Amino acid sequence: MTFEPIWGSIIAWYLFLAGLGGGAYVSAAFLRWRHPEAVAMIRIGRFIAPVTVVIGLCLLMFDATAGLQHPLRFALLLTNFGSVMTWGVVFLGAFTLLSLAGAGLSLAKRDVPWGLDIAAAAFGVCVAIYTGCLLGVCKTFPLWNNALLPILFLVSALSTGMAAVLVVAIVRHPEEFNRVGVFKKFHFVLPLVELLLVASLCFVTASNASPAGYESVMSLVAGEWSVVFWLLFIVVGLVGPTLLETWLLFFSPREFEESRKAHVISFASDAGVLVGGFVLRLLVLVAAVPITMVTPWL
Amino acid sequence: MARYGMLINTKKCIGCYACRTACQRQNDLLPDEAFIRFEEREEGAYPNVAVEHVPLQCMHCEDAPCASVCPTGAAHMGADGIVSVDQGRCIGCLYCMAACPYQVRSRNSQTGAVDKCRFCTVSSHENGTKMCSCVDACLTDARIFGDLDDPNSEISKAIVKEHATPLKGDLTRAKVYYVR
Repeated sequence: MTFEPIWGSIIAWYLFLAGLGGGAYVSAAFLRWRHPEAVAMIRIGRFIAPVTVVIGLCLLMFDATAGLQHPLRFALLLTNFGSVMTWGVVFLGAFTLLSLAGAGLSLAKRDVPWGLDIAAAAFGVCVAIYTGCLLGVCKTFPLWNNALLPILFLVSALSTGMAAVLVVAIVRHPEEFNRVGVFKKFHFVLPLVELLLVASLCFVTASNASPAGYESVMSLVAGEWSVVFWLLFIVVGLVGPTLLETWLLFFSPREFEESRKAHVISFASDAGVLVGGFVLRLLVLVAAVPITMVTPWL
Repeated sequence: MARYGMLINTKKCIGCYACRTACQRQNDLLPDEAFIRFEEREEGAYPNVAVEHVPLQCMHCEDAPCASVCPTGAAHMGADGIVSVDQGRCIGCLYCMAACPYQVRSRNSQTGAVDKCRFCTVSSHENGTKMCSCVDACLTDARIFGDLDDPNSEISKAIVKEHATPLKGDLTRAKVYYVR
């Protein structure tokens, strides 16, 4: 039987943007701690966060057709605290308000209290993890129903959030981009961790008690989605950026690292991380097949 | 209070889909909406082969995963143990469709809300209302509906006699039993 995915690209965009927004605010807080002189980059992080999350939320409401036709029903979202989605609404609500406050104060050139930055970053982490738990509690799909997925989504969220801040910084504030070494090194490590998590997810899921786990992994690595998986996710999203950044951070002279040419390479690498982040969400949604009752779904 | 359940004997099922069509009429469903889906499996090796037809529908699980994930409380279990969807509360997020391991929920393409088997046949069972429910429509009497808590009900006796079990063991505490 052919399985038609329940959630498609709209929800993939939402999962990607929510994670990216959370990661962007964490980036801002991290920059403020380790690179307080990178004022513009901190502001970029605080600004990207609410913008992407609000776009994501609009997509989410657009996808919930019955709610879109009767908007008052969205108020009912806070009625079942046994549901991960309800917790998500709480986290998203708090994060949107806090990050909007941070962005507003930042744009008005006012001091943002440390407490606000820490609270917003903490809720940013919650939003990123919840996107994984949202899928993770569905016993139906072995590719989702495991404890690795929330961690994978968190790492990807931090990675894409940092990449988004770096991409804007390269274009708008290259002088600051050159001075945030520690930030760049943390950003460098994340795709490597992600690679490890994706490999673990594939091995563990393929050995799931239901054949559905094997079918899901096979459609990723050798089936319908293999070209997207290997080319756009593994090569463009993870291995490519790692190789480019390894060269730039550890094997190129400092003058080159600060040249315009190196900036173009960094831009390409971070754009790759963003592409990989979206493709990861999309693949996790569309490649998952439900557990087998009588005959396997394919 | 009765604890309603259903028994489906796949040894009697001929795969005619009359139950699904009857359900669509009884519940006034859209042409692209169905509460019963079928899985078919070929068994054996040539020349001794057979096809097994397994109709699937909402199992009215006592630990319903759809109800536990529903953020608005639209998917819920009533006092009679029947799992239902309050069409006026559903926002169409489809979380219940993802959480249902049996994949037997469908979205109404006009309202965007999610719906599924309502155990409508309960009114036929309780006061003999004439219906075209899946139970009434089945040509081979493959379906029995009744009270699982009453040891003398037709369904309880049949479950014992035919060694019927839920489709997937203890995956959920399902109230639809199968003879296979």
